[in-house]
Amino acid sequence: MAELASLPVFGVDLDHAQDVALLDVVRRRVDGRFAIDPFGADPQLQDLVGPLFARTVPVRVTGAARLPADGPALLVSNRGTGVLEPTALSVAVRQEVGRRLRIVGTPELPVVADIIRKLGGIGAYAGDIAAVLRAGHLAALPLGLTWLRTGGGMPPTDLLVSALGYPVVPVAVRPGGPFGLPIRPWRVLIGAPIVVGEIGDRDPLTAAELAESVRGAVAELD
Amino acid sequence: MRVLITGMGGEVGTRVAQLLEERRDVTEIVGVDYVPPRRRLRRSEFRRIDPRERDKLAAFAAEYAPDAVAHFGIYEPGSRLPAKLAARYTEAAAVAALGGAARAGNLQRIALRSSIAVYGRGPGRPGVPDEDAAVAPTTPFGRSLLSLEARAAQLGRRHDIPVTALRFATIAGSHMPSPLGRVLRLPAVPVPALADPVFQLLHADDAARAMVHALFADIDGPINVVGPGAASIWQAVRLGGRVPIPIAGPMWRLASHLVELAGAPAPPHVIELLIRGSAADGSRAESELGLDGLRSTHDVCTELYEWATITPLRPELASVEASRG
Repeated sequence: MAELASLPVFGVDLDHAQDVALLDVVRRRVDGRFAIDPFGADPQLQDLVGPLFARTVPVRVTGAARLPADGPALLVSNRGTGVLEPTALSVAVRQEVGRRLRIVGTPELPVVADIIRKLGGIGAYAGDIAAVLRAGHLAALPLGLTWLRTGGGMPPTDLLVSALGYPVVPVAVRPGGPFGLPIRPWRVLIGAPIVVGEIGDRDPLTAAELAESVRGAVAELD
Repeated sequence: MRVLITGMGGEVGTRVAQLLEERRDVTEIVGVDYVPPRRRLRRSEFRRIDPRERDKLAAFAAEYAPDAVAHFGIYEPGSRLPAKLAARYTEAAAVAALGGAARAGNLQRIALRSSIAVYGRGPGRPGVPDEDAAVAPTTPFGRSLLSLEARAAQLGRRHDIPVTALRFATIAGSHMPSPLGRVLRLPAVPVPALADPVFQLLHADDAARAMVHALFADIDGPINVVGPGAASIWQAVRLGGRVPIPIAGPMWRLASHLVELAGAPAPPHVIELLIRGSAADGSRAESELGLDGLRSTHDVCTELYEWATITPLRPELASVEASRG
């Protein structure tokens, strides 16, 4: 989608976070003059709730220089229970590079799915991840659940097929308290980007190789 | 190149003929449909053949022996024809025209209109599918286009002809009959109460341009063509200054009957768009077809509401106009 620049977006930058006023957001919702993307994300709503999340889930980031300031990239992070880690990560990305994060894995539930989509969620499908990366966004893909366990979790190899050729950044999100207690602030550790394969390559073996190296990289971060 | 345009009587089919007329390398243009072309054409020829007269259509296509077929003989249910008739016309036009043209032996390529409806919508399907995504249509329109694509691909394999299936987003324009346009232009529009799905549109002129590009590109397979960006249902309704009426669950059946009574027949693929949205990844249209400057979905959506209202000319007004000269 190279023609993104020509879209009527009402002064909204489709990738970088901006300051928004509540009144303006509400007025634009009433007369329909707001930007929305094919995945269902509403950038102004994201910017509206971003600061609220930052206050609820404060983060301390290590290795922020490794976060790409522009262009497509996939952050692969660990996940304990599934909700707080992606939120902490999106707060970290907004705080360090001022970009909106798209999170893979919107549950297909009525109402909930639509709200999550508006806030930047996308479906857990290889096609959706490929499309979001082609559009130049920064996306986050959580590894399998590691509830009551430590380590990286199972990497979704079938989804990583779409990330071949793009920078894949391993990320570890850890609760701030001792013994893994969810005490604020959260710690977000960013690893060095990995690039495997070429863009458009759909080879499952190359994807498995990427999955193993990124899983190892996430587990090693501490 | 000698081109046969099926469905030349439609808005897009006529536009394709106009665009082809401007090209020097297109020596002859012949079109068929059951209704005449919508605009003035300079050097295209038109034959009025009802697609249901299969033998006549097949004989004509075989006799003309075109180098390329631009297959626009797709009849969207609820657009000009009711759903049942539309499916029959679509099927008949494809079998007769494509089959006849391929049999003649000169055919070098087929480009046909399809729709992103072939991907289907709902659980287990990506929200923004690209051409590699699995096809699993969820509406009769999607299923009929998928079987058409399969039929054309089979024909292409047998005669060794590249077949480009253009999977368009819902085509709309300011003076193009479209079932979605009619629903959105009602004073009050049914919208999902508990969701706000996104959809994409494609401008009729861009659909015609895509067809011309496809006739000269050498692509065998499907290509998505969608207007960049997206709009949500609630947003579209408010853009037109219409009143959204929230509908949920079984109420949709009643709502679809009510909008039909109000003059906007809503076939299943339009209801599905309202409930689940419709989107696809159109990046290959730019990289492989070389299509650029497509009108954005938002622009097309705004244009939908610029439907000229009818101003009845009163006799006294007419005489005033006449005396002014």
